[in-house]
Amino acid sequence: MSGVMASGGMGAGEPAREAARLLRMRRRRTWSVAGWGLCAIGFGLLGIAMGWILLMVLLRGFSALTPTVFLEVTQGTGGGLLNAIEGTLVIGVGSMILAVPFGVAAGLYAAQFSHTLFARAIRFMADVLVGVPSIVLGYFGYVTMVEGLGWKFSLAAACITIAILCLPYICRTTELALSQVPAAMQEAAFALGAGEGLVAWRIALPVAMPGVVTGILLAFAISVGETAPLIYTAGWSSYMWNGQLVGSPVGYLTYAIWAFINEPFASANALAYAAAFLVTFIVLLISVTARLVLLRRQGGR
Amino acid sequence: MSFRRVLAVFAAVLPASLIAVRLFLAVYSWPAVRFNGLGFITSTSWNLGNTYGSPIVRNGVQVLPGAHYGILFLIAGTLLSTLIALVIAVPIGVGAAIFLAEAVPARFRMWLSFFVELLAAVPSVVFGLWGYAVLVPLLGHYVFPVMGRVLGFVPFLGGSTGSGSGLLTAGIVLSLMIVPLIAATLRDAILAEPMVVRESAAALGVTRFEAVWKVVLPGVRKILIGVTILATGRALGETMAVLMVSGNALNYLPPNIYSPISTMAAFIVSQLDSALQDPTGLAVRSLAEVALVLSVISLGVNTLARLVLYRAGLKAARV
Amino acid sequence: MTAPFGDEAMSTTTNDSAPAAAASGTVAAAKIAIRNLDFFYGSHQALRGVTLDFPERQVTALIGPSGCGKSTLLRCLNRMYDLYPGQRATGEAMMDGMNIIGPGVDLDLLRSRIGMVFQKPTPFPMSIRENIAFGVRLHERPSRAQMEERVEWALTRAALWDEVKDRLGAPATGLSGGQQQRLCIARTIAVKPEVILLDEPTSALDPISTLKVEELIDELKRDFTIAMVTHNMQQAARVADRVAFFYLGEMVEVADAGTMFTAPREKRTQDYITGRFG
Repeated sequence: MSGVMASGGMGAGEPAREAARLLRMRRRRTWSVAGWGLCAIGFGLLGIAMGWILLMVLLRGFSALTPTVFLEVTQGTGGGLLNAIEGTLVIGVGSMILAVPFGVAAGLYAAQFSHTLFARAIRFMADVLVGVPSIVLGYFGYVTMVEGLGWKFSLAAACITIAILCLPYICRTTELALSQVPAAMQEAAFALGAGEGLVAWRIALPVAMPGVVTGILLAFAISVGETAPLIYTAGWSSYMWNGQLVGSPVGYLTYAIWAFINEPFASANALAYAAAFLVTFIVLLISVTARLVLLRRQGGR
Repeated sequence: MSFRRVLAVFAAVLPASLIAVRLFLAVYSWPAVRFNGLGFITSTSWNLGNTYGSPIVRNGVQVLPGAHYGILFLIAGTLLSTLIALVIAVPIGVGAAIFLAEAVPARFRMWLSFFVELLAAVPSVVFGLWGYAVLVPLLGHYVFPVMGRVLGFVPFLGGSTGSGSGLLTAGIVLSLMIVPLIAATLRDAILAEPMVVRESAAALGVTRFEAVWKVVLPGVRKILIGVTILATGRALGETMAVLMVSGNALNYLPPNIYSPISTMAAFIVSQLDSALQDPTGLAVRSLAEVALVLSVISLGVNTLARLVLYRAGLKAARV
Repeated sequence: MTAPFGDEAMSTTTNDSAPAAAASGTVAAAKIAIRNLDFFYGSHQALRGVTLDFPERQVTALIGPSGCGKSTLLRCLNRMYDLYPGQRATGEAMMDGMNIIGPGVDLDLLRSRIGMVFQKPTPFPMSIRENIAFGVRLHERPSRAQMEERVEWALTRAALWDEVKDRLGAPATGLSGGQQQRLCIARTIAVKPEVILLDEPTSALDPISTLKVEELIDELKRDFTIAMVTHNMQQAARVADRVAFFYLGEMVEVADAGTMFTAPREKRTQDYITGRFG
């Protein structure tokens, strides 16, 4: 059709058209440079804000770190954080003990029987559960366990709440790790006559273990950094954990950040910064380790 | 029992806990739902009533005289702070993602990406600490007064600029908390777009930026939409950081962007102590209703986000 | 002298084939003239001293076993390698008095003059109409009516118009593979380039779509200079006017299609086209 346009061999022979092209090109280039600039500014803003936060925690936190912080318990608005450090670790370990068997089982089921309806339900619910605001879980824990079962602010209530919070993370990372186990390896085991259980337990899980452990580490990091659900379940205590599962409150680091920064005393504020430093340090250390493990396994990207 | 059955029983704890939490909140808050009615979400008044008065019975529920629960101001605070967070976070997240995926040489990319991902791991309360100790004084003393003067003619940007704790501050802190999620997810999506798409755009004579902006980015728009909704859910439910920088307003709608607010999540934390003063227990149950409303909203938002992301082919979104 | 390349810059390989090509009388003026082109992926040299002409409004097919450098040569002509760090070309590739691979070339303008179609169809994530309009709008500012006319023209030239005219607003990703590839060709010619590079354009298509694209290429050479990489020797024989055989980064032999497939001069060429390796 349109014989005018079909004349081919265009470009070089039409100076006017060529000039128009050049002009448009120049304008488009300017826009492109501006676009790159805006992207760089976006990243720069992100970097500045984040650098600022980390630097603040590092500088103010580090200067507040004295031996007392590690050696003594909290006294009023001063003293140390030994009770909170212990509490954070105990809550973290306790909730992992509760969450790991169920979370890994859910991930294992979702990966090994991935096409069943139940597996799909697990996957979807895990994804949705991740988005439940943690305070909702905290309130649930408060009403059911702290009040309903009469456990008071206690380690058990805290651990169960945090365990529910961590379940979907463990489930999804486990499933992800298992889905990368070569199907051929499992089929070979089936071909030898191994059953579903044996294949999952002896072949799939061991191969996926680094990924599973990474997921558990990240979940632990989450438990260290959580605050809102603990306010309602663990309460706060200035004493060391007394070994009781129910009936007595437990201290933890994130509470110290939130509560002590509001106090008008320098000693309290120093404790808040020290706690912030410890929490950030622990969480970032775990995250870095976990990601390095994953990176090494994938051989970089 | 077969291995599969045993495994299924263990695995069932996860969905069971999800359902149990929702169900329990619904059952527990039922008296409050009956008493408060629709006014709960359409009126602005959180009033325990006369805690020294003797309880009366209304709508079949024991209440304190004068009690009224309406959380419109919380819903407004939650939605507005989330909106501000998105307005700030989406452009920055998209820019940062493009920068990381397309502008940074591969060997630095890993480290810079690593940095962004670490930020996603920084606990909420640490963001709150920074907001409280650094951002609030900075904005309150220097930035907001100037903004109020210069932009005062714009509705919602004028008027009293307050102390620095409030809607805009909460939005800024929230935006910082969701930017890493948006940037990291989008960066992965951009990097996963095949090189040949960029090449065929380049073959038409587009500049590199045009190729990214007009061809690659539209190709990942579903993922951008999905992760934005996901980030919305995150911002709606964020508690500690907002609690520390929002000014914890009670019973009024924010007259301007600097005004103190409270969000549903932060309110649950800040009001438990006072709610316990109500001997009828209705205040605590009304707080449970706040949690229920919040969880219904976040359930809806998250389901939507996941459906969009599943359809975009992103099976394992960042958690 | 009828051969357009009588100068000293020719390498020995071209010297061998030039008289044959000239004798056959099919060689038109060269649209692009490559002289002594070397190409490097980092430290690995992928092309060595290639000298080759692409005659105007003819189809030149590049054949040879995988990894012989034929696609690399194609990607030199529109400087696609500039997208990747560490890749570089030296030598000369003259088009209308400009050295394509020289410094200071405006890449975006160059690529608007030299279009490229890839192995796999690459429709952009937008409507069929927008796919065509996208490239046009980069270089011109046509009115709505002009744009409609251009879209129809390009789709008609690409033998796709009748199949898509009722759903121009539909997403391009909904087309079949063969249609997508013709859309990519339409998108390329809509920009009105002078040269079209085809990198194994039918290798991802079924036989019927392949046939359509081949017919299309035959049609397009009336207006465009075409360079095509193909693995399929029947295809080269069907659509090409000239055929160049590449082996291990060198251009072994170039001749018009008839000569190449009936009386190749080099033993390596003969071995390849008779299927002894590759």
